[in-house]
Amino acid sequence: MANTLTEVAAPQALDYHSLNAMLNLYGPNGEIQFDKDREAAREYFLQHVNQNTVFFHSLKERLDYLVEKEYYEQAVLDQYSFEFITKLNDLAYSKKFRFQTFLGAFKYYTSYTLKTFDGKRYLERFEDRVVMTALGLAQGDEKLAIGLVEEIIAGRFQPATPTFLNTGKAQRGELVSCFLLRIEDNMESIARGINSALQLSKRGGGVALLLSNIREAGAPIKQIENQSSGIIPVMKLLEDSFSYANQLGARQGAGAVYLQAHHPDILRFLDTKRENADEKIRIKTLSLGVVVPDITFELAKKDEDMYLFSPYDVERVYGVPFADISVTEKYREMVDNPAIKKTKIKARDFFQTLAEIQFESGYPYIMYEDTVNAANPIKGRINMSNLCSEILQVNTPTTYNDDLSYDQIGKDISCNLGSLNIALTMDSPDFGATVETAIRGLTSVSNQSHIRSVRSIEDGNDKSHAIGLGQMNLHGYLARERVYYGSEEGIDFTNIYFYTVLFHALRASNNISIERGEKFDGFDDSTYASGEFFDKYTDQAWVPATARVAELFTTSNVHIPTQDDWKALKASIQQYGIYNQNLQAVPPTGSISYINNSTSSIHPIASKIEIRKEGKLGRVYYPAPFMTNDNLDYYQDAYEIGAEKIIDTYAAATQHVDQGLSLTLFFKDTATTRDINKAQIYAWRKGIKTIYYIRLRQLALEGTEVDGCVSCML
Amino acid sequence: MTITDKVNAAANDPAHQGRIPLVSQVNAINWNRIQDEKDVEVWNRLVNNFWLPEKVPLSNDVQSWNTLTPEEQQLTMRVFTGLTLLDTIQGTVGAVSLIPDAITPHEEAVYTNIAFMESVHAKSYSSIFSTLASTPEIDDAFRWSVENPNLQKKAEIVMNYYRGDDPLKRKVASTLLESFLFYSGFYLPMYWSSRAKLTNTADLIRLIIRDEAVHGYYIGYKFQKGLEKETEERRQEIKDYTFNLLFELYDNEVQYTQDLYDQVGLTEDVKKFLHYNANKALMNLGYEPMFPKTVTDVSPAILSALSPNADENHDFFSGSGSSYVIGKAVNTEDEDWDF
Repeated sequence: MANTLTEVAAPQALDYHSLNAMLNLYGPNGEIQFDKDREAAREYFLQHVNQNTVFFHSLKERLDYLVEKEYYEQAVLDQYSFEFITKLNDLAYSKKFRFQTFLGAFKYYTSYTLKTFDGKRYLERFEDRVVMTALGLAQGDEKLAIGLVEEIIAGRFQPATPTFLNTGKAQRGELVSCFLLRIEDNMESIARGINSALQLSKRGGGVALLLSNIREAGAPIKQIENQSSGIIPVMKLLEDSFSYANQLGARQGAGAVYLQAHHPDILRFLDTKRENADEKIRIKTLSLGVVVPDITFELAKKDEDMYLFSPYDVERVYGVPFADISVTEKYREMVDNPAIKKTKIKARDFFQTLAEIQFESGYPYIMYEDTVNAANPIKGRINMSNLCSEILQVNTPTTYNDDLSYDQIGKDISCNLGSLNIALTMDSPDFGATVETAIRGLTSVSNQSHIRSVRSIEDGNDKSHAIGLGQMNLHGYLARERVYYGSEEGIDFTNIYFYTVLFHALRASNNISIERGEKFDGFDDSTYASGEFFDKYTDQAWVPATARVAELFTTSNVHIPTQDDWKALKASIQQYGIYNQNLQAVPPTGSISYINNSTSSIHPIASKIEIRKEGKLGRVYYPAPFMTNDNLDYYQDAYEIGAEKIIDTYAAATQHVDQGLSLTLFFKDTATTRDINKAQIYAWRKGIKTIYYIRLRQLALEGTEVDGCVSCML
Repeated sequence: MTITDKVNAAANDPAHQGRIPLVSQVNAINWNRIQDEKDVEVWNRLVNNFWLPEKVPLSNDVQSWNTLTPEEQQLTMRVFTGLTLLDTIQGTVGAVSLIPDAITPHEEAVYTNIAFMESVHAKSYSSIFSTLASTPEIDDAFRWSVENPNLQKKAEIVMNYYRGDDPLKRKVASTLLESFLFYSGFYLPMYWSSRAKLTNTADLIRLIIRDEAVHGYYIGYKFQKGLEKETEERRQEIKDYTFNLLFELYDNEVQYTQDLYDQVGLTEDVKKFLHYNANKALMNLGYEPMFPKTVTDVSPAILSALSPNADENHDFFSGSGSSYVIGKAVNTEDEDWDF
């Protein structure tokens, strides 16, 4: 049907929201109006930010005021001389930082910058936040503080939201992003789990909980049959807890729950996300994850039934919680054991149900249990992931006394994150130093974090100092260099880049161990200590497979570590250890990639002009970084690129990352559950560790679309 | 008499029943013999787009609701009561009244789906009300809707045309309702969401817009099909009728818009939006636009937000988004498991 309303005449004196929205509408010559977005950013400062920023005559006046009024933490500033702080401040302002997009500026001022207590006026500019973050993280180390300012203001390193938002503020939440908690099969542990979820949400972090150990609906309690109500009521309690607690309104409490695929409640668990689920069992805001072992794939391959095992019986038979055994390993044994109550479903039906629910809701996440454990260098078992499916660490159970006090405090997981901007890191004057500064910044967050309200988290952090260095802007970088995402060169680059980062991350952590004479608890039982971890790097050479990628590294002056480099590093690590139990995890990077002008994570872009919708922002439009009207070809979106190339790219990165990578799969609405299943199988075969959301794009029925709209037509 | 009583009364009015008869004869619908591919396409789209208000976490908007001034809250409540009335009409009378005129049996099935979803929409507004406001506030808004002459007039105009005995004219009334009359109300949630207010409510409204876009398009399409069979004279008559009706509705709509939006100073912008959608409605009916471009320059923030495409990149932790659909289940085959 022909449409005559293609053009929208430009009204006079537009406000910044309207200018920003024009990004999504074609200009008179069919071009994307990038200039409108820059104008929007400019107007945002002129019309809004500048008029609402508190002015100070000098740095001294500013800091004194902020400390006196309890906006800044005195202790952070006391670690440095005023002279040094002035120098650092001058350094930050000398870089002439400018936000590249409206969304970047809008997001920063809406969600990150320090505001007066009434929320009406701004007390910081971007530079001030960077300086305060650097001062807080460096803990008195002037060299590190300078390094952090250099890396953050240049955009090479961006700490995760909780760290960047909170550091140095007197009224603040925790600096850590992410928590993972076990729940055991008893009321004490369930109640503690809910309590911890409240405490951790209040402090501002995503919390994931493991439900696999909880006995199924209908299981006996005190040997009386048909007593337990299973996991759904626990999920309801958790969901309500998360919506109650939020971090001073800054971040909505958010939680995830993980369940083993062979848990008897698995289908009930999935049905909570059905479009027509009953209100009593519907789960709206809690995220779901399913832990899938290899055996499930084997059973589906043979089109067999899959047995679901009662966690209550499994724990009685094996003496350990269900989540601490390998279902793949014990499967036949458990099937044959009459002491374990079991039910069965068709394995292929299970996968199809999984895909149906993903179609309707985007959930659940998937963790490939055996892949994850095979790649884990640390002793112990990984049985769950987190809210963004990139944290993969070992844990141990906590036990309680009758009076609810701790009997034995187990080990639960926390992780703080920060990401490198791949494009700018490749441009770094010193690639290795950029990685090292990032690792030191993240380590400092671990050192400063003491979550006393959840002892298993506090103890776990003290023992492991686990951190997660992430990456973002892969697609932006590739497009800037005129390399297609998912092409041979694209995958080759990803491989060599992650390989190089791993080397420097380990080197940095080893340096910290040498300086402090301390290594993470359990290092001696790890494959780092045995040296096995390094085999794949010392036994074979890792070099670019394509000339283009070799050229990219040469022109950027980035040295690719050799086998000899690895041998030397291995020797040093075996002698001194490393400080961090875990080093890398690639998060999905929502907010921080907008501030940092990056494409999210190592995903392809969702759209050339992304429509971003968030509670705090409303609907805003974001142009892909480095995109102009001349290089649009390289900005194919994720739906065009397709699942296979995304999986190939992630597989290249995964082999060099000790934890996980948030991997979202994108489908057009012509896809069926079979296509999703095929992608899940392909990902599993390629050694992918986890799958995050499934996203679907439904295009408007022809004839009903808004014309001249960029995101609708490209 | 409440507003729903009026609708009910109209539906039960004996004269009305006489004029909109039930289908006289029912044959089993054979979906394997399709006369018009558009029926299947739209049916599939509607089924895929099925949703219920319970999936949207409206309660996340409570904080944001509290940041609105009392005037803004009142405006929002009134806008939604107005929309409730229109959806009630469309669900209980409008879509149903189209069934006897259906050209193909599949078209009848599509109308029943449309009627059902309109009732879902009407109920959705109640979900918004009960989440955000107290019972006295809700009652107050409904009282306003009964007492506002322009809203009542709007309902009456449309109801009269639904009672009329000309199938094509009924389709015109229906398309204008779906593609034009709703939008003075839809403007406000889109406006809020572009300013980071009530974003989950806006999600829900966008789901409604997604449906209404298809409904208006489909009814308009069926209208054009029907028109093809008519004489030139008759076509001219229908066209004159359409433009007259649109003028009548437009005049009233402008009054209604002033009643609502004058106090917050948005009237002029909403009017542009009305012009834009009036043109869109005419386009659905196959007619040329009535308003020139100079008066359809809707604020880009609203226009961009209006896209019925489901392609936004939302933050899962603060909302459920408006992009998920019910998928097509297809069994995996042995070859898929070949590893």
